[in-house]
Amino acid sequence: MTLLTKTIKNLAAATLATAMIAGAAQAAEKLKIGFIYPSPVGDVGWAYQLDEGRKKIEAMFGDQVETVVVENVPEGPDAARIMNQMASTGAGMIMIGSFGYMNDGLKLAGQKPDINFIHASGYKTAPNFGNFQTRNYESAYVAGMAAGYATESNTLGVVAAYAIPEVVGIINTFTLGAQRTNPDITVKVVWLNSWFNPSKAQESAKSLIAQSADVIFSLYQDTPSVVSVSEEEGVYVINTSSDMKKYAPTKLLASMTIDWGPHFIEQVKAALDGSFEGTAYWGGMADGAVSLSSLSDDLTADQKADIQSVVDEIAAGSFHPLTGPVVAQDGSEKLPEGETIEDGALLGIDWLVAGVETKLPN
Amino acid sequence: MTATIIFILAGTLAATVPLLMAAMGELVAEKSGMLNLGIEGMMAVGAAAGFVTVAVTGSHALGLLAGGLTALLLSAVFAVLSIFFLANQVAAGLAIGILGLGVSAGIGKNYEGTTVTPMPKLSFGVLGEIPVIGPAFFSHDIMVYAAIMLAFAVWFTLQRTKLGLIIRAVGESPHSAHSLGYPVAWIRTACVLFGGAMAGIGGSYLSTAYTPLWADGMVAGRGWIVVALVVFGTWIVPRVTMGAYLFGAISLLELSIQGLGLNVPSQLLSASPYFVTIIVLVVISRNPTLIQLNSPMSLGQTYRPNG
Repeated sequence: MTLLTKTIKNLAAATLATAMIAGAAQAAEKLKIGFIYPSPVGDVGWAYQLDEGRKKIEAMFGDQVETVVVENVPEGPDAARIMNQMASTGAGMIMIGSFGYMNDGLKLAGQKPDINFIHASGYKTAPNFGNFQTRNYESAYVAGMAAGYATESNTLGVVAAYAIPEVVGIINTFTLGAQRTNPDITVKVVWLNSWFNPSKAQESAKSLIAQSADVIFSLYQDTPSVVSVSEEEGVYVINTSSDMKKYAPTKLLASMTIDWGPHFIEQVKAALDGSFEGTAYWGGMADGAVSLSSLSDDLTADQKADIQSVVDEIAAGSFHPLTGPVVAQDGSEKLPEGETIEDGALLGIDWLVAGVETKLPN
Repeated sequence: MTATIIFILAGTLAATVPLLMAAMGELVAEKSGMLNLGIEGMMAVGAAAGFVTVAVTGSHALGLLAGGLTALLLSAVFAVLSIFFLANQVAAGLAIGILGLGVSAGIGKNYEGTTVTPMPKLSFGVLGEIPVIGPAFFSHDIMVYAAIMLAFAVWFTLQRTKLGLIIRAVGESPHSAHSLGYPVAWIRTACVLFGGAMAGIGGSYLSTAYTPLWADGMVAGRGWIVVALVVFGTWIVPRVTMGAYLFGAISLLELSIQGLGLNVPSQLLSASPYFVTIIVLVVISRNPTLIQLNSPMSLGQTYRPNG
């Protein structure tokens, strides 16, 4: 080989090596974040709002992060498998989007202290495992106020998935809010025993309507199935997670919307600069994680003003929806006059307030 | 109370349509000896294809047709595998079923969570005005009545026509049918295709009329219920039909019971449609002679023409 060819060969090798190292270095800088959702993302719903948070992360951090999404992962061994797969393919942070992923996620977090985890709607933490929840009970209270104003039959129907404490708390404040504006209401609940069954959710809504409910609360249904059927049957409907005005243009009473953007951005920032700590975050109206949107124009200006003033009080921290006197279904007094429920008790709540006709499943 | 009764009666008729259509299709397939366990996937594929077609064209007729055709194509894969390549029917059916679930998610990907206008309800004029009976029985879309007519047509064909006799003969003893000169493979294929098409139309009804939206996983196990219904109903059309309506009725009844505030554990209620239907079907199908007469002897067995 001549000197020229040899020089060219060496130069080429050096350039290639430099490019590879530079590339590897850049790849090492990028934080790979995995997202696991329990249901398909779609247009609206729980997974959709989580994904909106993810998009805000990408918009904020651009090249510094790379996101990977796996949707429609059932709770159980499948979830554990996907988490492990993400961990072994270089994820530096994983967002697990459902209550049932908790124990598998915690186990993996114990095995991989270098990976940061944030878990949706759980209650356990570890140094590298944080959880986040929304104070949906705050927006449920004001939604309940609207329901109390709007109902004529004084029967409110709730289509709920599982009786986990979060859901029970929401039903409680919904009932209390409705009783504030209409002391004669009763609340009926149908437990779907499934996070995702749009047909059954619709059937449940129809069965409640047949039992004279004229306001339906679609609690944590990811699809607009209950919202659409309420519009069709001409009853008011309240839903959670996303704004669903387009599915019920005339009959949507309010949507209890969630915004994960600010919290996700804060967590990713901490992960990027190494200051991540597993904390329990419980976002509410005060920090914009939770809000009431598309409040129906069928309510009068006075009613809307009343609701808005309570929203302001909650956001300012001067009013807590679960403040005594509160009486449970069995007649016992759970909160005396003026006493507010503690966060710990709320996280594990297992009783329904008086006014809810349906009992909790055992 | 009347509203609840109307809800249960009317709701049952509508809720049972997908189950009944798929069950009739599966019954015909099983009568010819083919155990198609992939009904769930075929219903899902029919639901997705039907939904997309209605969303794009606005025509429910086209939607049902598209749903039926897509599921038919999927069942054709099963037919080729198990009839012509002599694969094990159970394995092939399960595999095709799981494939169908995945394909349906792919077809419906861009339409996840969206809705379409439901199928229009027929008007029977004065009949629809009768209190309770009117809204319960005479205010449905055409598929509710078509499903009942399908059940009757399947029964009549299987029990009273030559075609039905041939199908049953193929299911009882393919070798005898073969020696009589009947093309066993083609008859079985046709029955499988019919089964697939019916499952597809049933699935399409689910996503375009019953719960007019598409969501991945919305078939929610109905295909498996259909297979169970056909077996526990001992391949007798009236029993399978009754089992399907019973299942539909209890599914709605259990929701109403929850709303009524009766203190029955909701998990027990959720399980009730399944075990009540099974118990009822098992109890009424006790006669062993009748079972012998109606169950296809060669069910699930691969037919080898030369062996």
